[in-house]
Amino acid sequence: MENALLIGLSRQVALKRQMDVVANNMANMNTAGYKTGSMLFEEHIMPVAEMNEMSGQDKRLSFVLDSSVYRSFEEGGFKQTGNDLDVAISGKGWLVAQTPDGERYTRNGQLKLDAEGQLVTPSGYPVLGDGGPISFSPNDTGIEIATDGTISTSQGIKDRLRVVQFENNATLKKEGETMFSTTQQPEIVEDVRVLQGVIEQSNVKPINELTSMIETLRAYTSMAQTMSQAQELRRQAIEQLGTPPRG
Amino acid sequence: MKSLQIAATGMMAQELNVEVISNNIANMRTTGFKKMRAEFQDLLYQDLRRVGSASSDSGTIVPTGVQLGYGVKTGATSRIMSQGNLTNTEKDLDLAIRGEGFFGITLPNGGTAYTRDGSFELDATGQLVTIDGYQVNPGITIPPNAKNISINKTGGIEVIVSGAATPTEVGQLQLSRFINKAGLKSIGDNLYLETAASGSATEGSPGDVGFGDVAQRFLEAANVNAVSELSDLISAQRAYEMNARVISASDEMMSATTNILR
Repeated sequence: MENALLIGLSRQVALKRQMDVVANNMANMNTAGYKTGSMLFEEHIMPVAEMNEMSGQDKRLSFVLDSSVYRSFEEGGFKQTGNDLDVAISGKGWLVAQTPDGERYTRNGQLKLDAEGQLVTPSGYPVLGDGGPISFSPNDTGIEIATDGTISTSQGIKDRLRVVQFENNATLKKEGETMFSTTQQPEIVEDVRVLQGVIEQSNVKPINELTSMIETLRAYTSMAQTMSQAQELRRQAIEQLGTPPRG
Repeated sequence: MKSLQIAATGMMAQELNVEVISNNIANMRTTGFKKMRAEFQDLLYQDLRRVGSASSDSGTIVPTGVQLGYGVKTGATSRIMSQGNLTNTEKDLDLAIRGEGFFGITLPNGGTAYTRDGSFELDATGQLVTIDGYQVNPGITIPPNAKNISINKTGGIEVIVSGAATPTEVGQLQLSRFINKAGLKSIGDNLYLETAASGSATEGSPGDVGFGDVAQRFLEAANVNAVSELSDLISAQRAYEMNARVISASDEMMSATTNILR
């Protein structure tokens, strides 16, 4: 009898997490370079004590496990901003940011300059070029970023943006601030296409999220109903079986 | 329910987005105004099942893991310092900068502020001042009997004093540049202050290497583009509504839980 409640609970816990993932996607609908996450579930079969004397076999119990969050690395839409320091990578590739905890990778190209003239991410971490951090002097005007990532100014060529890729994007770990980390060795992308004055928007598809939200909600409510029926069944059983026979 | 808080961060972010956009639209006709943009970042992640942790003794690892995000935060409201269009005004003391640089302004408290708004006037003593009456650096006085004020591309100011045949130079405008002009702090009245993020000002004359030119009888219009602001407004508003839907859905889930036991 408890099983119905416990299996229902495992489903509800999983659905609650799915709702969290959907809510996080929705909250990041306008976050440049954000990548959608979605939940993957798997069936977890519980071994049961078997009793073979009965005519019907014992059924196995299957619980729900939230095994992983899958990320879609599909490109987000490109939005023209006309800002010199906005870059987007068309196709494969990640920009490299140097943080105190090591290299981080991002597709959010809303770059800035800091007080020393260094090219930094929105969170203030230096963006790496082929020769390390990229700095500009006060005399540099008209920053141009070519499609191969070469940065030039009125004072000549500065450096080239380092754009890297990984064998397996699925193992990239989100670190917040639209940055990812990994233990994989990055490889330089050769045929890179960097667009200046453009940012890559979040790849969240609001319609999909809304649909999956409704689906989650309905599954949750129907599970709650099942649990409440199981509860009712139990109450009735106690009531009827507990009543002493008349006469 | 974490999704309640997550959706709340989404709503707060979009509310701020709408505020930034409405400020841009409100300043569409403000001389020298530079539009702002709200930039968002995802918040921290909680690892429920770590990526790359061992899933068996034989060395297999969890390929993706379970990471739950906590919503969105505003990373910055950055100013886009692109050039605005120049509009002809036919007024002698209207100046626009084409290219890099800011006019330096001496504030009443003695500090220096910077502006791209070149709609200047003369005060009672003939000094070049902003429309608020603050002195334009480096302090230029136009003689009372002067006429035909002419300001050239490189910021030299010449007047013809009545009776004289040739113009006399009465001053030279200076411009200031910053390594990171997006790091300037806005104080309203079209003025900016130097900050640790902007770096210190580099002085120079208009037309010097790296500095823009000055255009007389022109003003720089705001660099706000009405069409892109409106489309941003629509997308912000829809994002707000969708986050509100997440809150009501989470609420429904909670009420379903409370209704299990009657």
